[in-house]
Amino acid sequence: MNDLDEQLRELIPRMRRFAVSLTRNPSSADDLVQASLERALSSWGDKRAEGDLRAWLFSILYRQFIDSHRRGKRYARMLEFFTGRDDAQPSVERTVMAQSTLEAFELLPTEQRALLLWVSVEGLSYKEVAEILDVPTGTVMSRLSRARQALRQLSEGEITSPSLRILK
Amino acid sequence: MITIPPSERDLHAYVDHQLSDADRQLLETYLASNPELAEQVRDWQRDAQHLRAALGGALQMPANPALDPTVIRRHLRGQSRRHFASAAVLLIAVSIGGISGWQARQMTFPMPAPMADAVQAYRMFATQDILPADFKVEQSGDLQGWLDRYFTQANRLPNLQNAGFKPVSARLLSTEQGAAAMVLYENPQGQRISYYVRPPGPQNHLLERGGRRDGELQAEYWSGSGYNYAMVTQANSPAAQLLQQTTRF
Repeated sequence: MNDLDEQLRELIPRMRRFAVSLTRNPSSADDLVQASLERALSSWGDKRAEGDLRAWLFSILYRQFIDSHRRGKRYARMLEFFTGRDDAQPSVERTVMAQSTLEAFELLPTEQRALLLWVSVEGLSYKEVAEILDVPTGTVMSRLSRARQALRQLSEGEITSPSLRILK
Repeated sequence: MITIPPSERDLHAYVDHQLSDADRQLLETYLASNPELAEQVRDWQRDAQHLRAALGGALQMPANPALDPTVIRRHLRGQSRRHFASAAVLLIAVSIGGISGWQARQMTFPMPAPMADAVQAYRMFATQDILPADFKVEQSGDLQGWLDRYFTQANRLPNLQNAGFKPVSARLLSTEQGAAAMVLYENPQGQRISYYVRPPGPQNHLLERGGRRDGELQAEYWSGSGYNYAMVTQANSPAAQLLQQTTRF
């Protein structure tokens, strides 16, 4: 168990970085990491598949984020229904032009951000990413290709809001 | 194996270092004579580098102690203990409500039987083993010290060693009268006796020393040092006799 804790401790900075890139907010990122660690520690042993611990943790974190995001969206839709306004503006509709790669990155949809972080930054294999997303490797490669092109175009400032919507 | 001319997937796999050495060399040779494609690949490589550099700083965030695995484990344990504790409160509250309701209908005793919660706790923990212990003697040692943290200056735990009973585990419960603890004694034959302590409640309801039979169980109860106590075991057993001797001091 202590051995596991040691391995987890080493990976926590990477989990936090991934969580920040998903939530774009350090404090909710840490909440997300905490929830993911709780999930990981309580399901340790019975659910963990063979393979890279880091990829397993990323997949727990990603799923937690998607779930909470979905709940948030439902809530926002409900609010909109009752109040007639949309309090949660999706980030993809920002009309800001990206000035740098990081800014461009932050304009990408969730899955593209996750893909680029896993592959380009963390160096996970296509196979590991395919397992996290539960899709074939070929799908990972075509989604990655789209993500790269989107990042490229945003970095060059070619794209404004309307075409961003098409990308999604 | 890649194809020549390379597919877009091959180019991405090249950027991500996921090609074999042979394929990588093949592709580099091809790129050398196709500057436009080479330029596209370099753009992707540069984006990846920028991204790594830009996100590198995020690894240096000041540590957050709340995320340490040890703290998370403790938090998880606390959560399950709270769940168990609230389950215990609920069960006890429901069954005492049931008892007093039934007795009100009978118009005999307006009050629940003395220390009915102790008997109920014995049924849950000693007879049915529904909930895990908060404290195990073999793991944690000093039971009296643990108890003293919650009940200051209460009666000392009875010593039943001569009769072959040793304390093995303890649980905390909350009742209408306040926090209660139940210590479970066991002898080598697996017979059990519980020792139950809690405050007398808002009405300061202290008890005359006494005993009563409740279904298959025998309960002895008394008050002292500001708390109410009960000891419960199977009726008509040697343990029940021991209990009467122990508590009639």
